Amino acid sequence: MASLREVLRDNLKKYGFPFPLNKAECHGWSDLPRSGRTLFYTSCMYQIATLTKSLSKFVGMADKLSAFGFLASKLLKPPKEDLERASRVLNKMVKLLKASGVNDLFYLYEDEPYSGAALLEMGYLDLFEEHAKSVYSFFKSRGISRVITVDPHTHNALTRYREFVPGFDVEVLNVYEVIKEAKALTQEELTVHDSCLYSRFLGLRENYRGLITKAGLRIKEDFLITGKDNAFCCGYPIEAVDRDLSERVAELRAKGLKSLANRAIVVCPMCYAQLRDKVEVVDLMEVIE
Amino acid sequence: MSWEEAINRVISHGIPRVYEILERHPYLPELASKLRKAREEVIKNLDHYVEMTMKSVQRTGGKAYLANDAKEAREIVGKIVGTGKRVVLGKSMVAFEIGLRKYLQSLGNEVWETDLGELLLQLTDDNPSHIIGPAIHMTKERVAKVLREKIGADVSESSTHEELVAAARKFLREKFLTADVGITGANAVAADTGSIVLVENEGNIRLSSSVPPVHISVTGVEKIVPTLEYAVIEALVQSAYWGLYPPTYVNLTSGPSSTADIEHKRVSPAHGPKEFHLVLIDNGRREIAKDPDLWEGLLCIRCGRCHLHCPVYRVLDGKFGAPPYSGPMGAMWAYFVYRDPKPATLCTHSGNCKDVCPMKINIPRVLERIKFRASKAGDGKA
Repeated sequence: MASLREVLRDNLKKYGFPFPLNKAECHGWSDLPRSGRTLFYTSCMYQIATLTKSLSKFVGMADKLSAFGFLASKLLKPPKEDLERASRVLNKMVKLLKASGVNDLFYLYEDEPYSGAALLEMGYLDLFEEHAKSVYSFFKSRGISRVITVDPHTHNALTRYREFVPGFDVEVLNVYEVIKEAKALTQEELTVHDSCLYSRFLGLRENYRGLITKAGLRIKEDFLITGKDNAFCCGYPIEAVDRDLSERVAELRAKGLKSLANRAIVVCPMCYAQLRDKVEVVDLMEVIE
Repeated sequence: MSWEEAINRVISHGIPRVYEILERHPYLPELASKLRKAREEVIKNLDHYVEMTMKSVQRTGGKAYLANDAKEAREIVGKIVGTGKRVVLGKSMVAFEIGLRKYLQSLGNEVWETDLGELLLQLTDDNPSHIIGPAIHMTKERVAKVLREKIGADVSESSTHEELVAAARKFLREKFLTADVGITGANAVAADTGSIVLVENEGNIRLSSSVPPVHISVTGVEKIVPTLEYAVIEALVQSAYWGLYPPTYVNLTSGPSSTADIEHKRVSPAHGPKEFHLVLIDNGRREIAKDPDLWEGLLCIRCGRCHLHCPVYRVLDGKFGAPPYSGPMGAMWAYFVYRDPKPATLCTHSGNCKDVCPMKINIPRVLERIKFRASKAGDGKA
């Protein structure tokens, strides 16, 4: 049987993704132009977040990710209602970016490459390096010099390209570095489940939290549950390694959040997918405009 | 009572207390960052500092040894102790790492753990669940049951924390007074003076290191700091970041007991131990020190703060890591001393550990590199 490394490499080659995904599912949400100065870069994360969650129900990592495994006959497709929700979130981001003065956004549709985030997070650093180099040459071939990422995993991957790709010179911005203004859509008291990557690795905690405050959302906090050092992961990054452990982390997290409010704001599609069956979660984009 | 209840009690007692301590004594983070620089210097020149330390220990009238692996370390200590002795052990995770207690027992010695948490583990033949609080998985109700059943203490589930501690005190007191050998670890070893520094609250380390005629300290080579100044700083920083500050005791030992009361001529022994032995243990550490991806993990001072902020540690019932090394630091150290990459693969890079670490070790990054090695080792299997 092939090693997981071989399966991942094979899938990336065939589908441009770590698992057999029909990438046509990624871009139905958009009516952005196909060219411009600033790339709106989804890496298909919002679109497929809930799908990776259902994938991990099946045991056997290589099997699970291999097109020769249990799903040999067809490529994976995210559920319709999840795609519709992703579409609303992504379009809200586009709208708020435009309202913040970004008028040269474009999107790559079926040509949008995957960031390699999962390779990095699972420790397949050699594959990540190969992949990052290929994404960088693709960006260069399209003359792309500025990218706006919309989720923490992609932002983390792209900001780390510098370590793996000599001379990487694409400007990488995050949606929460650019959106400055928004209005609250609810006065309900919510709590916040921070993204680990935004909050503790990428220095973006004050960006989206600043937006939350500025928009006038009402937030319930507890230093031991939502403080920077004490808030913790939804468990998603270890889902593929140990699903049970990942679920237990999610349950513990959900329990803490529920003790503060009925609904929690998330800023990451993976946190959403991981927590939604344990506590009611909304993407920040669903409660501001 | 469950692990979840036990750890929630520890978190609600411990986490706020560390912040209070750091706020009340603002020099502590400064000391921590100064200490990191000094320890980096040692890790980068480890062989040099090992040699300097061993010479310094000899100057104080002690004996110093370098053990390449756990087996060598056990044998060195076994030869010093011999057989038919009563041995008291102060808390030492390195002693656990090398399997010292069971080895000394197998040589026909009576061996007692004297740290309360360690004693509870000895009585239940259990593994430590936290690098500093080895028995934090036990609620006080469980502790009462263990003390009653294993040492016949007159305590019950309704006994107070104080009554439980008093029962252990009564049981151990005689062991200290009659022991032939005391074995401790070391929080830090000063290369310039050959002194070891040990921080504690119970007094068991002070007793183990001063009452028996022979004192053996076993510790990892990475505990060496350039000078005695840093050894003391390490003790202060370590206790503060675990939330017990000021520590009740900081023990500083330089060689066997001595006196200069007659004509200012320094002679040895005096009232304390007649012999002092320092066993420095490599067991994989020197190779890690040379590894550009992993060396940073050797800077860990074992305060155990990262554990309480780690979601994986919390849900794994204290079993994240490889005993005695637990939590985020344990996931690194499982690889460092046992070359076991499995715990690292469970890291969900929540990132809290690196933010609360007094040495500012980028633990998730070290674990990422270990994951990479695990992924390569996993090729061929799926």
